Amino acid sequence: MNAEKVEFSRTAGKPIRCRGGGGGGAAAVAREAGEPLVIEEVIVAPPKSREVRIKIICTSLCFSDITFWRLKVPPACFPRILGHEAVGVVESVAEDVHELAPGDTVLPIFLPDCAECMDCQSNKSNLCSKFPFHVASMMPRDGTSRFTDLKGETLFHFIYTSSFSEYTVVDVASVTKIDPAIPPNRACLLSCGVSTGVGAALRTANVESGSTVAIFGLGAIGLAVAEGARIAGAKRIIGVDINPDKREIGKKFGLTDFVDSRSCGNKSISQVITDMTDGGADYCFECVGLASLVHEAYACCRKGWGKTVVVGVDKPGSQLTFNSYEVLHMGKTLVGSLYGGLKPKTDVPMLIKKYLDKELELDKFVTHEVNFEEINRAFELLLQGKSLRCVIWMDK
Amino acid sequence: MEVKFQAWDTAGKPIRCKAAMARKAGEPLVMEEVEVAPPKAWEVRIKILCTSLCHSDVTFWKTPAGPASFFPRIFGHEAAGVVESVGENVEEVKGGDLVLPIFQRNCGECRDCKSEKGNACSKFPVQFYEGMPRDGTSRFTDMNGEIVHHFFGVSSFAEYTVVDISQVVKMSLEIPIDKACLLSCGVTTGVGAACKFAQVEEGSVVAIFGLGAVGLAVAEGARLCKASRIIGVDLNPEKFEIGKKFGITDFVNPTSCGEKSVSQVIQEMTDGGADYCFECIGLASIMADAFNSSRQGGGKTVVLGVEMHGSPLSINAYEILRGRTVMGCLFGGLKPKSDISSFAKMYLDHELNLDGFITHEVSFKDINQAFDLLLQGKSLRCIIWMDNISNGK
Repeated sequence: MNAEKVEFSRTAGKPIRCRGGGGGGAAAVAREAGEPLVIEEVIVAPPKSREVRIKIICTSLCFSDITFWRLKVPPACFPRILGHEAVGVVESVAEDVHELAPGDTVLPIFLPDCAECMDCQSNKSNLCSKFPFHVASMMPRDGTSRFTDLKGETLFHFIYTSSFSEYTVVDVASVTKIDPAIPPNRACLLSCGVSTGVGAALRTANVESGSTVAIFGLGAIGLAVAEGARIAGAKRIIGVDINPDKREIGKKFGLTDFVDSRSCGNKSISQVITDMTDGGADYCFECVGLASLVHEAYACCRKGWGKTVVVGVDKPGSQLTFNSYEVLHMGKTLVGSLYGGLKPKTDVPMLIKKYLDKELELDKFVTHEVNFEEINRAFELLLQGKSLRCVIWMDK
Repeated sequence: MEVKFQAWDTAGKPIRCKAAMARKAGEPLVMEEVEVAPPKAWEVRIKILCTSLCHSDVTFWKTPAGPASFFPRIFGHEAAGVVESVGENVEEVKGGDLVLPIFQRNCGECRDCKSEKGNACSKFPVQFYEGMPRDGTSRFTDMNGEIVHHFFGVSSFAEYTVVDISQVVKMSLEIPIDKACLLSCGVTTGVGAACKFAQVEEGSVVAIFGLGAVGLAVAEGARLCKASRIIGVDLNPEKFEIGKKFGITDFVNPTSCGEKSVSQVIQEMTDGGADYCFECIGLASIMADAFNSSRQGGGKTVVLGVEMHGSPLSINAYEILRGRTVMGCLFGGLKPKSDISSFAKMYLDHELNLDGFITHEVSFKDINQAFDLLLQGKSLRCIIWMDNISNGK
C-alpha cells in the first residue's frame, strides 16, 4: 500500500458530503430489494461517542450482501448502504476514542469485538455479548443512523459496517487496526470471507494434518476453507459444486478431488462422498447456506468422530432437521460459527502476519477489480458465478 | 462373593432355564422356560446374577411394529453375570469370571476401535441387535422350538444368555455385583457423557433435561468435573430433592414456567444459556429445548436419549451459526473394554456414588414390578435378582 498521507484535519467534526465524479464515489445505495444500487451523494455525520469515521479505500462483495439485498422482508430494509468487507483509513475519531487515530489503516468487521465482556475475554467464544450479533440496521450504542441522503431521509446501516460508501461511521468494537504493509485489495478480504473460511477450518473445526475434508460450495468461503485445510496439512480436500468450472479453479486452492453435484446420477452427493472416502470425511463444511446441503454434509461426515461445520448463511428462519437416531448413534458433531470462530482484534493481525510470511495465500481470491461506479457489475459477476472476489476501488 | 454352580457339567450343551419373555409389545413379561444354545466361536455364555431395567428396554418393548420391533424377545441389557462357558477363540475370559455384558460393541480390532476418537465399532454390520452380531442368528429357542429374539446382543432378562466377546467386559471381583450391573449401561452413559464425551470443565454451567438414572448420572459426572451449577429439568417435582444428592443445584419444572419456554427460563437464569445441555429422555422436542438453552459462542448440546417416536430433531440454522454444537453418543462415548474399569475403581475409591441409583430390588419372578415402578416414575434403578443369588458381598 503506498504511503500516501491523507489530510483529514479539514473534515474532522463535520458532516461529509461524499461527492461523485472524478473516479471517486459517493455511496452506492440499495433503494429497493434486488434493484441495482444507485450511486448518489450522501451525508455522513461525524462519529459520536466511541465511533470512528473511516474513508474506505476498497471494498469487496460477499454473498451475504446479496442475500440481504434481495430479501424483501425483515431483517432486510431499504434504503440501505450495504457492504461489509473492506479496508480503509481512519478520517476522524470521537473525543472518547484513544485506541485509534486519524491515518490508521483499519478493517471494519461485521462481528463486534468489544474486548471487554466475558465472551470476548473467553477463548471459547468469539461472540461478543456486549454487542450481540444480529443483522443490524443502525449504530450499536444509540440505535441511530449516521447516513442521510440529500432529501434528508435516513439511510440504514448494514451489520455495523456499510462499506459501499466513500465514508462510513463504525463503532470501535467493529474496527480492527491492521499493519498497512498488506496491500488493500488483499486486506479487505480478511474483513469477512477469507477469514471466515480459513477460521472455520483452523479454529472452529481445528482440522488436523492428514485429515480428509469435504467442502460443499466453492465460492470464496469454500475455497478459503480449502486454503485453511491446506495450511493445516489435510491429506484430501474434496470440493463439491454445481459449477464444473470450479474443478480447475479448485486445484489452485489445493483441492485433491472434485464432485460435480449435478453429475451424481442416482446417488446422493453424500453417498458419493461416503463411497470415495470409505465411510465419510473427517470434516465436512457447508459453505453455501442451504439447509438441504447441511443435511448432505452431515450425512457424509464419518461416524464416530466426523464433524460437520455450518458456515454458510441461509435465509432467516431456516430450520435444520436431523434424524434423532442418527444424532444419537453416529457419534457425529454438528457445529456452526460466525467469522470462522475468530476474534477480529486478536486473530486478524495473526492472519495478516501469515499473509506477509507467505503462509496464507490471498492473491488467488481476487478474480476481478472494478471502480466504485461499476459496483453493480460486481453483483452481476457474483450472481453469474463468474467471480470469487471482485474488489471495488473507491479512488482509482 | 462366591457363586457356586455346576459350570463344567453344562459346557457344550444347551441349557434349559427361565427367561422373562416379551411376547407382545407393551404386555407384561411372561416367565417361561427357554433353551439357551452353547456359545459358538467368539461367544460367551453367561449366567446372569442380577440385571436392572433401563428405559431403553421399555422403549423397544413398547414398539409394536417397524424395523426395530421383534417379538418374542428377551429384553434386558444392564446386568452382571459370571461366565459359564466360552466358545472357540475366546481367551479374554474363562468360566467363573465376573463379567458385564454391554450393548456397545468393542471388538478392539477395527479402525474405529483402534482410534482414540469416538467409540463406534465398525466390525459388524449395524443392525438392531435382534440376533448375534456375527451371524445374525439367535441362541434362544422357546419350548415350542421357536426362535426368540435377542436384544442389543445382551438379553439379560434370562438366567443364562449368550453374548459375543466384543460385548463382554471382565470385572474386578471386588465390586459388589449390583453396583457392577449399573455400570453396564445407564450410569456409565451419564457419567461418561459428562466427563469423557462432553468434557465438562470446572466452573461450567450444566443443564440436564430428564432426571432419570441417566440424567442423574450426568449430574454425578458434572459434579465430579466440578461444574459450578447443575440445573435439573423434570416434570416431577420430587426429582429436585432426589437430585440434590447427585449434585443438582437448581431445578426447573417445565409446567411451572408460566408463559415462558423452558429455554427462555434457562437462558435468563444463566445469563445467556448453559455451557453444556444434556437431553436424557428421548424426545426430539426436548432435544430442541436443550439446544435452545445452550449458550451461543461455545454452548454444547449432548443427546443421550433414544427418541421414542422416531421424531426428527429440528433446530434453527442461525442459532447453530452462533457457535453452538450438537453431538450425540451411546454409552457416554466410552469404549467398554478400556473405560469401565476406571469407573469401577472410582467407585471403590469412594469418588463415584453408585448406591444412590438403586431405589428398589425385586426377585426375577417379580420383574414386571420393575416395569411398573419405572413407568410410574417411582424408581431410578430397580435391581432384579436372579434366583438363589443374594446380595452377599
